[in-house]
Amino acid sequence: MLLHIGAFHVDVDSKRTTPWHALAPRTRLLCAVLSVFAIALTPNGHWLTWAIYGIGVAGVILLARVTLPVLLKRVGIEFAFVGVVLLGTLFQPGGEVLWSWGWLQITTEGLTVLGSVTLKVLLSLLTLNVLILTTSIPALLHALTVLRTPPLLVAILASMYRYIGVLMGELNAMRRAAAARNFSGSNRWQRLVVGNMIGALFIRTYERGERVYQAMLARGYTGLPPVDDVPKGNWRDILALTLTLIWALVGQLAGTMILEL
Amino acid sequence: MVEAACLDLLSLSSLHLALHIPDGFLSLPVSLFGWVIAIGLIAVSLNRVQSEYQERTVPLMGVCAAFIFAAQMINFPIPGGTSGHLVGGTLAGILLGPWAGSLVVSVVFIVQAVIFQDGGLTVLGANIFNMGLMGTFGGYYLYKAIRFSIGRNSWLGMLIGTAVAAWGSVVVAAIFTAFELALSGTVPLGVALAAMTSLHVLIGIGEALITVVVVSFVWQTRPDLFYNPPRKDWASASG
Repeated sequence: MLLHIGAFHVDVDSKRTTPWHALAPRTRLLCAVLSVFAIALTPNGHWLTWAIYGIGVAGVILLARVTLPVLLKRVGIEFAFVGVVLLGTLFQPGGEVLWSWGWLQITTEGLTVLGSVTLKVLLSLLTLNVLILTTSIPALLHALTVLRTPPLLVAILASMYRYIGVLMGELNAMRRAAAARNFSGSNRWQRLVVGNMIGALFIRTYERGERVYQAMLARGYTGLPPVDDVPKGNWRDILALTLTLIWALVGQLAGTMILEL
Repeated sequence: MVEAACLDLLSLSSLHLALHIPDGFLSLPVSLFGWVIAIGLIAVSLNRVQSEYQERTVPLMGVCAAFIFAAQMINFPIPGGTSGHLVGGTLAGILLGPWAGSLVVSVVFIVQAVIFQDGGLTVLGANIFNMGLMGTFGGYYLYKAIRFSIGRNSWLGMLIGTAVAAWGSVVVAAIFTAFELALSGTVPLGVALAAMTSLHVLIGIGEALITVVVVSFVWQTRPDLFYNPPRKDWASASG
């Protein structure tokens, strides 16, 4: 029995002062989302497009002075999970057959899909990780509000963010309690214990929800958690968004033109 | 043979994430379709939940989302020798009802995609469609139909309804994922269906077993917390 995510403090680079950090969180969020959509929704085989996007992403990584080992480690872990699904993309029909074994065939088409999807996953992961490493979660939630996400949804997200840590702590306490009482035995017994732990956690959680609500009211809750200094939008933000948009379009056009030539 | 080979490839590594599609695997039309459905589902469920729970919505939905998130992190042994973790869609539906359940599950997916890159951003809509709409909403109504046809107050109905719905929701979500991958031209339909279904038939058993234990714990201790609590006299009915 293991908990498969460790720490929850993800914004290790959020206190730097760089041109990227000078942007308002909402601009950073918009730029990142725009980039991910441009990267991930490019049709397979447009290599030049991803080369152009790759230069852009690398530029932002350097500009934001992200701690590279942390970034690479996170991307590495996330990529390992994706790797399994990736293998399935290799066995596409169509194109020339390069290698075959029984029913399994590796074709040029399959290699194109594998290469394209790998690049897309890698670039998207890098982009999102830069955003998360440089922007604190309260700032992101604030950005969502500014961008007119339904306030109720943002408030639920904020409240969830607050209580993940608490519930993880409670789970850990239960896990320690189980271990202290010689938690082992058959698989069936283990499942029974884990299931009861989750059930107990739910009951505590539901009761906690009621208490939290009373406590929030008593402390004058207004609907959004407080955020520390968030830069206001100015010409830099407009410039950054325009650049991202142009970059996205240039990439798409270049990719299409190369294919037509 | 394709099935066997793919199963080998897949079973070599962790079963985690098999249902969370990452960015880059789905094409533009499929992603857009997923987003349209997901935004509609979230908008409607926000309204329904707000009118049901009123000003308790935020703290209650927040802690419940954190609960599903935390519950997904516990690994437990599943029959067949590997370990799996809870998806929790059907559990959320049974405990909180279809609207609050799918809202909570969608919120969990948003946080996983944005903060943990567990599942992609462009495909978030499709992921919410697979597991929020199909898993939680579909799972809830399947469970309700079975439970109420056997008897609202009988533990047997609860047991069978929960087990079938939890298993079914995982398998159906896997089938939808396979179709989405195939429609996007990423993985051929045969390979995707064979790999996803055969794998999730097993994962679904784990999901069903653990959901049943959780539900049985709540049934014995606080049956009033269920979205459809058994009517009065529950103490004798649960025996």
